Amino acid sequence: MTALAVTSATLARVLRDRTALFFMVLLPVAIIVVIGVTVSGFDQFRIGLVPAARNGPVAGELTSELQEAPGLRARTYDTAADARTALRRAELDAVVVVPNSLDADVRAGRSVTVPVLVEPSGSAGHGAVSSVSAVVAEHAARLQAARFASDETDGSFDDALALARTAERAASPIVVRSETVNGQSDFLPLGYSYSTPTMLVLFVFINALAGGAAIVQTRRTGVYARALAAPVAARTLVFGETVAYLLLAALQSLLIVGIGALAFDVKWGDPLAAGALVTVWALVGTGAGVLAGALFRTPEQVHAIGPALGIGMGMLGGCMWPLAVVPDWLRSAGHAVPHAWAVDAWTTLLSRDGDLAAILRDLGVLAAFATALLTLASLALRHRLTTSAGA
Amino acid sequence: MRVVLAIAAKDLRQRLRDRSAWVIVFLAPVLISALMAMAFNNNDEFRANLGVVDLDRGPAATGLTQVLDSPELEGTVHVRSYDAEAAARRAVDAGDVHAAIVVPAGFTESLHGGGAEPVRVLDSVDYGLQAQLARAITESYVAQVNADRLSVATAVATGVPETGIPELAAKAALLRLPEEVRAQGLPDDPLKVISYFGPSMGMFFVLFTVGFGARGYFIEQQQGTLDRIAAAPVGRGSLLLGKSLSTFVYSLAGLATVTVVSWLAFDASWADPVGVAALSVAMAVCVVCLTALVISLVRTEQQAQGLASILVFALVLLGGNFVFASGTTPAIRTLALFTPNGWALRGFTDLGTGVRGWDAVGAPLLGIAAFSLVVVAVTALLLRLRRTP
Repeated sequence: MTALAVTSATLARVLRDRTALFFMVLLPVAIIVVIGVTVSGFDQFRIGLVPAARNGPVAGELTSELQEAPGLRARTYDTAADARTALRRAELDAVVVVPNSLDADVRAGRSVTVPVLVEPSGSAGHGAVSSVSAVVAEHAARLQAARFASDETDGSFDDALALARTAERAASPIVVRSETVNGQSDFLPLGYSYSTPTMLVLFVFINALAGGAAIVQTRRTGVYARALAAPVAARTLVFGETVAYLLLAALQSLLIVGIGALAFDVKWGDPLAAGALVTVWALVGTGAGVLAGALFRTPEQVHAIGPALGIGMGMLGGCMWPLAVVPDWLRSAGHAVPHAWAVDAWTTLLSRDGDLAAILRDLGVLAAFATALLTLASLALRHRLTTSAGA
Repeated sequence: MRVVLAIAAKDLRQRLRDRSAWVIVFLAPVLISALMAMAFNNNDEFRANLGVVDLDRGPAATGLTQVLDSPELEGTVHVRSYDAEAAARRAVDAGDVHAAIVVPAGFTESLHGGGAEPVRVLDSVDYGLQAQLARAITESYVAQVNADRLSVATAVATGVPETGIPELAAKAALLRLPEEVRAQGLPDDPLKVISYFGPSMGMFFVLFTVGFGARGYFIEQQQGTLDRIAAAPVGRGSLLLGKSLSTFVYSLAGLATVTVVSWLAFDASWADPVGVAALSVAMAVCVVCLTALVISLVRTEQQAQGLASILVFALVLLGGNFVFASGTTPAIRTLALFTPNGWALRGFTDLGTGVRGWDAVGAPLLGIAAFSLVVVAVTALLLRLRRTP
């Protein structure tokens, strides 16, 4: 009963603190939005498009085909200089400059070269060139057909071009068809389905760590010492604080899960498995938070070291980028922190429709982390309370 | 002046005795930048490992393989051949190749008219860009075949008798597409991940100094230190200047540490060291202004810590310190220009791509200065309002 009083006092103090609510709710959601928007559209090359200054119908047709090509994410620029600056700043993979003389050259029977600017050392640019080439080649096929037909019949190029467009629909061209072989992804889905689970992992941990500052503050202000003077056992205080931190971690997780599902349409997968994962991760965070509260001497230390430690561990564990893209040794090193196992489990649930059995190994490792952290935290806090009256 | 320096030196000594201050401004940004440099070491190279299954075994299919092996794609595309489609599927499934192109039997035959099976690209959900490249190369190659077929069909549509089709087809086979792409390299330096994230992480942690400075002010106020100093023949201006100087030096030292370590240990490159110094100084001045703003807005140590944290996270979130600004949307890039750190990162990006001097740092310095002036004006207004009964 006394433990529950400690729990409710801690909960009330945290929930009354508007700064804490900012870190629990607003900040994670804001970061989810920014990262969710950023990590999307990776199946398209980003190109800058500089339309011809004298935009005839042929140049106009090429421009709109480049804008609508499914493999390209095109952004139009007024001047080549602006587009080059964006390319230099890596905002684009390539820049297509539609030649001013395109219409005149095509009508005169001259071959046309469409310049595509790329960073020479960045091979994404060369991939983008190939994608642009495919669109240009399809466009050129009609020009070739129109020129061939007008040469054969001595007719006008424009009439032949109009016929080529009609004939194209009837000519049953050889098509290139895509077929996805591997539907089981090694990565979280792009967009919010990437940012929401990874930020859940990151922020529940960081907030729990930062919450350790409150325990340090309570120790320093002598609240624990006064409580111990009453007939309250140290283990009761430790248990009460631990339950409070667990409830806060669980509450923050549920908020992120709920906001993710309702606002960002994140499908969290099998409910039982997702529930187990959220619970175990909340236990890991609780252990880390209480341990921080027991080990650090001043709240400043927690505020300084907590975020740095949390962000560093999050990066190592794949919260900021998928571990599949880092070197093998770093991926192995990343699994030294619990975050990597949590992200692996979310990947199984969100990308492979996994169930509880599929994430059992990840849950087991996380449970081991949680047990170790909670045990250490309880022992350390109890030791701190009983040996130095909480200071 | 001596008083100003004495106050600044006392503040700095006090701060440097605190180990957490060392962690937040010197150790954490360097370690996190190092982690990023290691994670993305040589990882900015885009590469596509593509499998090819030639079920046609004719010259047209060989032509496609030759395109994949062409010098233009060397370094971007690596090709492996498979005898059967099943083997290619297994390779894509296992991640041995990112995508595979299956040329159907009868592909060469279809050049002479008649129907043709589609050319298929087998891809994986995890390698969208590589799949897009495989499709694009195949489509470019198939486009010439389709162009020849379309040329004949258009000629027939314009009135050439159908009896002449074999002759037309022979002529069309000699045609070359009249429009082609030519890649041109820009002379700029490519932007390295560390050249962006080194200063980005440096600024992120240096902005925490706002909280330290503001909290320090209220702690000293609480302890009566400020009153005791005020009782001495020390003007309020000297006190303010001394404290600002210590925050400035501490912030600048943090930024200098992360940029120098990024440069020496992780090969970050910026075209102009003077530009790097100018941006760092401007950001350090901005940190001083933000600290003053927080002090003018709140009344307690706790409020100072809370407001400073919210301010810092809002700035780094908008400014692009958490994400690679170049890879994000134009709207987020525009939002970044409302923050000093967003402007500074724009400057570091330009310096990192070989631009020097005022061209690289002019606009960012003006942006940071404008932001700092607005902060100073708001702070002055708040202090005046506070003094007015």
